[in-house]
Amino acid sequence: MTAMLTAMPENDATYVVVGGGQAAAWIARTLRAEGFAGRLVLIGEEPHWPYERPALSKEFLRGTGSVEAITLLNATLAEEAGIECWLGQRVTAVDREARVVTTADGRSVAYDTLFLATGGQARRLPGLDAVPAERVHTLRTLTESERLRGALAGAKHLLVLGGGWIGLEVAATARALGVAVTVVEAAPRLCARTMPPVVSDWLHTLHEANGVHVLTGTGVAGVTGTADGVAVTLADGGRLDADHLLLGIGIEPEVGLAAAMGLALDDGIVVDAQGRTSDPRIFAAGDVARHPNAFAGAALRLESWANAQNQAIAAARAALGGTGVYADIPWFWSDQYGVNVQMLGLPGLGTRAVARGTPEAGSGCWLMLDESGIAVGAVAVNAARDLRVLRKLLEDGRAPLPDAWADTATPVQRLPSRPNVGMD
Amino acid sequence: MTEWHDAAATDALSDDEVMGLSIAGVPVALFRQEGAFFALHDLCSHGAARLSDGFVENGCVECPLHQGLVDIRSGAPCSAPITEPVRSYPVRVVGDRVEIALNR
Repeated sequence: MTAMLTAMPENDATYVVVGGGQAAAWIARTLRAEGFAGRLVLIGEEPHWPYERPALSKEFLRGTGSVEAITLLNATLAEEAGIECWLGQRVTAVDREARVVTTADGRSVAYDTLFLATGGQARRLPGLDAVPAERVHTLRTLTESERLRGALAGAKHLLVLGGGWIGLEVAATARALGVAVTVVEAAPRLCARTMPPVVSDWLHTLHEANGVHVLTGTGVAGVTGTADGVAVTLADGGRLDADHLLLGIGIEPEVGLAAAMGLALDDGIVVDAQGRTSDPRIFAAGDVARHPNAFAGAALRLESWANAQNQAIAAARAALGGTGVYADIPWFWSDQYGVNVQMLGLPGLGTRAVARGTPEAGSGCWLMLDESGIAVGAVAVNAARDLRVLRKLLEDGRAPLPDAWADTATPVQRLPSRPNVGMD
Repeated sequence: MTEWHDAAATDALSDDEVMGLSIAGVPVALFRQEGAFFALHDLCSHGAARLSDGFVENGCVECPLHQGLVDIRSGAPCSAPITEPVRSYPVRVVGDRVEIALNR
């Protein structure tokens, strides 16, 4: 629904978007779609036109995708929409008093409203300086995905440090390309930060069934270069050799600029439900923004495709005087070995899993309940429709009766439900 | 000359339901809305997903992959990330059968 726009800015206003990713593109596109007629400048650090990142670890990495398929804004669209795109340009300073943005090569632009969609950077391990750089990979950008694809083409063995979503998706793609894979995760289980144990166990089994050597609860003591690859020394003294190393240990939100500007930070840029930062002329959205999430009842910083798109749209509308807020229930997906996994809410907070169907066997959905019986999230395996119906219920403040959820004889649309509150 | 293809029985769908069909090799999503039938090309214009696997609500179908919305009657995009229309096909009811035309 389009929120009511109450205060459309004047035509001589200038809006500037710092960032060149998915959130930045949706801010710019939405501003124009909602009628903003002033000057619109998008400043992206990457040389590429804004694109979506999910395929970088999947189709694009495998070589079956294309840049065109993931591009959100190109020269033609930008020209048509009147979006000035300064690509390959790093913003070095923002003067909030004068309201001027300056780039590394000395260009500057004065803004009326500013958006920060600076995303994040893949985390690196300290002590890798002695390892040949061409053997060490991270995966955040299109350039990094192309580089990793090139490396996998000649590799026999890939070592993945980090058993989170990026690490697992790359592991699955590497297996499809015929590369042997070892995943090393320091935590006792995979995806432990976001998933309940039942999902971690299923992922572990899925990857082992596809030939991945999975080591959980395994720390890394050191990484060294070898004549033809890398060697990792494990905390328990073991040693692993591989052609290439992928670090899949999360991202750091890119807050350097926001910190220098003096904006409120808390593992990311703090924003309100409309994406507004502590400076009312400045908005932030996407991976870098920490927003109050109504479903969670807490502030969250989400690194997901849906958040990058929808929070950006909400912020752009708010900047034009819209009254709507960003109130989506967290949702994201992964594809591994042809299996579609979708996650809703905060399933990692659940202590009791109620399965509909047999997700562990490849088709079904775990509903996750916390100790007071509140439905906190769900994880669907090749069961997107179940999850979609559940989302509708949760949006309405309701949850299916747990026994009914497990009963596949009743169509998911007709499950009896109750208010999603504690059952103390 | 419009060539009509037999698609389904009129009682094969209830309101707000959708079914995926292959008509002369073309994937088609057939919808029923308030007793009337509508057909869209069964592929989202954004990603490689079948609209017939989607969720129907308020006259729109939601793509199961990215939750973009498409107007069932026209194929017009209704929400991000879908920006291109999905092709819609003419539908008619003959007796108790639904027929679809692939050409226009």
